[in-house]
Amino acid sequence: MSKNVRYENVNKIFGLGTKNEVHALKDISFTINEGELFCLLGPSGCGKTTLLRNTAGLDTITSGKMYYGDVDISTIPPYKRNIGMVFQSYALYPHMSIFENVAYGLRVRKVPNDIVTKKVNDVMELVGLQEELKRNPSPTALSGGQQQRVAIARALVYDPDVLLLDEPLANLDAKLRRYMRAEIRRIQKATNITTIFVTHDQEEAMAVGDRLAVLRKGVVEQIGTSDELYNQPRNAFVANFIGKMNFFNATVISTDADETVAQIDTTGIRVAIRAEKRHVEPQVGDMVLIGGRPEYLSVSATATEKSLPGTVRIIQHLGSFIRYEVEISREISPVTLEIDMDSLQPGIHEGDTVNVSFDESRIALFSPEGREV
Amino acid sequence: MSRKYSMIENGAETSKLKRFFQKDFSQLIIFAIPMIFIAIFLLYPMAITLIRAFWAPAEYDFEFTGWSLESFRTFFGTRIYLKALRNSIVVSLSVTVLCILIGVPMGYCVARVKIPGKKLLVSLGILPIIMPSFVGAYTWVILLGNKGIVRTALNFILKPFGVTLPSIYGMFGMILCMTLTYYPFVFQMAYGAFSGANALLEESAMLMGAGKARIMRTITLPLIIPSLGAAALLVFVRAIGNYGIPAVIGIGANNYVLPTLIKFAYGGAGDINLASSIAVINVLITGLVLYVQKYVVSRHEYETISSTHTDAKLHESVGARIFAIVFCLIILIFSLLPQLTIIIMSFFTRWDGLLPTGFTWANYGGIWKNSRHEMFNSFFLSITATLMCAIFGSVLAYITERKKPKGAALLDLSIMAPFILPGTVVSIALLSAFGGNGIMKLTGTYIILIISYMIRRTPYVYRSVAANLTQLNPSLEEASTISGATWFYTFRRVSVPLIMPAIISGSVMTLTTLLQELSTTILLCGVKTKTVPIQIFNAVNSGELGKASALSTVLLVVVFAIIYTMNTRKGTDLSSSMKM
Repeated sequence: MSKNVRYENVNKIFGLGTKNEVHALKDISFTINEGELFCLLGPSGCGKTTLLRNTAGLDTITSGKMYYGDVDISTIPPYKRNIGMVFQSYALYPHMSIFENVAYGLRVRKVPNDIVTKKVNDVMELVGLQEELKRNPSPTALSGGQQQRVAIARALVYDPDVLLLDEPLANLDAKLRRYMRAEIRRIQKATNITTIFVTHDQEEAMAVGDRLAVLRKGVVEQIGTSDELYNQPRNAFVANFIGKMNFFNATVISTDADETVAQIDTTGIRVAIRAEKRHVEPQVGDMVLIGGRPEYLSVSATATEKSLPGTVRIIQHLGSFIRYEVEISREISPVTLEIDMDSLQPGIHEGDTVNVSFDESRIALFSPEGREV
Repeated sequence: MSRKYSMIENGAETSKLKRFFQKDFSQLIIFAIPMIFIAIFLLYPMAITLIRAFWAPAEYDFEFTGWSLESFRTFFGTRIYLKALRNSIVVSLSVTVLCILIGVPMGYCVARVKIPGKKLLVSLGILPIIMPSFVGAYTWVILLGNKGIVRTALNFILKPFGVTLPSIYGMFGMILCMTLTYYPFVFQMAYGAFSGANALLEESAMLMGAGKARIMRTITLPLIIPSLGAAALLVFVRAIGNYGIPAVIGIGANNYVLPTLIKFAYGGAGDINLASSIAVINVLITGLVLYVQKYVVSRHEYETISSTHTDAKLHESVGARIFAIVFCLIILIFSLLPQLTIIIMSFFTRWDGLLPTGFTWANYGGIWKNSRHEMFNSFFLSITATLMCAIFGSVLAYITERKKPKGAALLDLSIMAPFILPGTVVSIALLSAFGGNGIMKLTGTYIILIISYMIRRTPYVYRSVAANLTQLNPSLEEASTISGATWFYTFRRVSVPLIMPAIISGSVMTLTTLLQELSTTILLCGVKTKTVPIQIFNAVNSGELGKASALSTVLLVVVFAIIYTMNTRKGTDLSSSMKM
């Protein structure tokens, strides 16, 4: 039976009462729905793995409550929680065959032999390892991708209420990683077990998850579907973490219910931002950021009224598009802009001076707080 | 109304009680037993010894007659005692330096030069430490005595240079015997370090233009300093605690060392308080050396950074190969001469001159008749103690490594303390605590021997398992917990099978050293608990060389069989149990 997972004001403080107190999770409250494939996403040190380990019970939370369905599991030891977990290192037992590895949780539960055999066979078929199971080698004789499947099978075989995946794809090469993330989604949908998937790779999270939570410094910044996070990021951090966002320093000139006009610093360029693209309630005179994804910007050899001069540093061919890295005035953007064009722009080379312009209708407005990743 | 409240309270009460009994206590119980054991049989006796060192002298008497520094005054006021202190320091330091000079090049040769029979060389290279060291000492008396065959040969070679060998009885003999007995520690550790070192580091230095000598000086040697430091400490500790060799060839008032002095103070003068104060001085020196070693090594401890690892390239030039083979063979032959001598001697009655005389089978025939009981004692005591060490050592390693309790460092220190304590010191401590009118009188029993063996040898399994555990990903155990296994189930089904190779190698080390244990046993054994090494020691002292040799040969064969079997097993490594 799949269950939802609910966090209520969960706090985790490492080294409580010592000099090196680390507040790893700050008042986390949200719900993961039954049967959902939910991604915890964030840069390293954001608390995503801590949250997962606490969900598993491998660490205990400092305060707050966690529920599986209606049951408060905050103080229940991990071995009584009925969860499955796949570790980054897979943690397969080298002293057992793959059959015994997968059967482990059933043996713990003292399941009769004939049922063990059937369940292991079923789950190995689900993860696509029925051929390997016939040979039944030690897990060390398997490839990385196969070990990964054994680890998933082992976590699924005893029908856990919740499945936890801790950066499960981190040890695979790029091609296999893309394949396995589709596999994980297929297996999860086939079993319909509530699943929490931890990763630092936004592309992976967007591809796999039904919904995502972006964490930073122990705080949930935003929760939503991939589409919501990409198109309606709540703040500059999420905008730049889920996909790339270029920011320009600007000051609010006027604002009303329909639009806000901001002037890019040290220039006379004024931009009108539509109400639905505002992610902050601006006051006249506020310092703000205006942001545009690489594909909303363009480079051109010719200057226009609303273009900014800059220098091309690097041009990269990335298959379906060309990325231009352009340095502009430090007062406007201290970091290099990334601009994606559909095709190579003739006459523009690395080191050339170009003009950057943007699609005003797609530009969004953010508070300057928390811009840095 | 009030009734309702009390019912709720009652409900809460029962659930609390229920929860208490549902809790998984196996962890606590398993952890508590070894800790209590350490407290009673190590910390308490050591404390007693320290206290006794400051008691007034007592003649065969455990009565407290007042505080006094008399024992220390005696020690520092008596020429023989001070000389013994000086001897101990000189012998141990020289042995340590010589062992490094022999063991490191030999380890390098076997690990990095393409030579045949490496497995055999490594197995043979451990042989010198598995023979009772006093037996080795006696064979050197045969070989290097006044008419000994090796002395005659060496003097013939050295004559043109105007050099003659000093007498085997005395400092020269002790340093020679101990060096040839203990260099295997350095050899084994250096071999392990050189063959285990990541070749990529050396290769990258080579690509950056460094020559062979430079790579050796700046990369290879600095990286093995921690292993080398551990081996050097081990040699020093063994050398300063060795009782057998000085007892056989440290003859004469000028040639006492601390362990023989302790035996003299306790057995001869019968003053356990004086013996205690010598023990305290002995421990202080060892502690000082340990401190220096830790200081030096801690500045050279490195984390392994790279994840990829390649095996070292071997030197293949003919010159290097010939040099390596010749060097290793000379050392091996020299250090295995005692074993050879013993085996030959076991078929003869006398060996006074160049060659043995009086061939006989009687030495072996007498074993069943005269040594049945001692054989039983040796095997019974060693195997029992080894099993206990295996259990205690692995549980303790598990506690300190995985649970990291408060005071883990103190626990680690108490477990490792006996490792650096000379056997005679541990014996004196146990005698002080359980000999006279203390809480328990255990002298002359099997129990006190098993306890002393456990106290002294648990570090082998402990270290071996701890080293293994640090390399074992904790998520293997976490995965089991997540699957619903209790702590004990995980320990049984996951942790223990995975650390089994380390338990085995630690246990083999324990068993083989216990079979030849002398320095603890000689002070603690009673009439009924004599072991084979004690019998050999007595036979040597009363000149029954044939009998001693036959018994030693039996021990030698048993111990070599155990070690060889283990070396052919995969994943077991003796050197990890030797590290501090």
